[in-house]
Amino acid sequence: MAETMVRMGELAASAVAGDVLVSLGLGSCIGLALLDRRLGVAGLAHVVLPSSGGNAPKGTWKFADCAVPELVDRVVKLGARRPMLEAVLVGGASMFAVSKSSLEVGQRNEAAVRDLLREERINVIAKETGGSRGRTIRVYVGSNKVTVKEAGGSETPLVAGAARAFA
Amino acid sequence: MTRYTDTQLDALRELANIGSGTASTALSGMLGKSVDISVPNAFVLPMAEAVGSIGDAESEATGVVLGIVGEMPGSVLLLFTPKDAELMCGLLGVEAGSEYGISALMEIGNIVGASYINALGQMIGLELEPTPPAAATDMLGAIVQTVLAERAGAGDVALLLDSDLVVEGEDCSVSFLLVPDQGGVEQMLERLGV
Repeated sequence: MAETMVRMGELAASAVAGDVLVSLGLGSCIGLALLDRRLGVAGLAHVVLPSSGGNAPKGTWKFADCAVPELVDRVVKLGARRPMLEAVLVGGASMFAVSKSSLEVGQRNEAAVRDLLREERINVIAKETGGSRGRTIRVYVGSNKVTVKEAGGSETPLVAGAARAFA
Repeated sequence: MTRYTDTQLDALRELANIGSGTASTALSGMLGKSVDISVPNAFVLPMAEAVGSIGDAESEATGVVLGIVGEMPGSVLLLFTPKDAELMCGLLGVEAGSEYGISALMEIGNIVGASYINALGQMIGLELEPTPPAAATDMLGAIVQTVLAERAGAGDVALLLDSDLVVEGEDCSVSFLLVPDQGGVEQMLERLGV
């Protein structure tokens, strides 16, 4: 079993059962998982900011408007079917509740990702977003389980996962 | 990707050194103990690698953040491990984890961070003002990523100026990070003439 770390501004996809995609300690960032649960293909993006303003250099995935279409492409390239894709969102917290300067990056990240998913006609089937706690997301490729963990807490399933319906 | 020369990094490190020297005097005055400073590190890292360079993303930490407003926006982040938070609160006679504990750490952050920011402003001749502190106790990764997203988010790399303040005889330290906005680094270097 290989754990792939998806760090700030990175994304990863896999169709290998047993692979685990992980983003540790998401604060205002969003961990966006895309799943084709029938085929066991999954991807994870670690989105940092809502919008590139259209001038992000090629190959940067920290902005929602770059990361969402790229993640869709990556999972589709691995065999996922676009109409079957479902999304899970984790993160988007306001870590420093008192701070007015933060402009609620977390909330803006979530809104941006949701808008983009709507454009791609992808449903959000589970989420653990907002609030003021940091979170870790784990995506178990093949079993389609998605879990979330908060500081000091234990790993809890967001998407229970199951054996593949049609292998 | 933005690159800095060794001379430039030395200059930034020196800046951090003087800033944290002033901050250590402020902390020492608060605690009534001598405070030493470590040699500062200057990291210039792709954002993805920045969190890992600071520590285990899932470990617990208390972060106190102060914004810098004025001619060079940025953030100063003080990080306490649970052990350091407890020792620090003990020195101030309050219970760690309690409401008083958190406000004591915020006050440390306020005084230490503000003196760091003022020293920095004087050295580079820019008007810098600290904003009131905010605190969070959570996963280290979540705290650091949130500050990075706000400050360095739009750029390719994050510059971290990292120094430790060590309370003498107490085995207790605070780690100190300066995260300038993108463009802030260039401004500092220009002011320093390197």
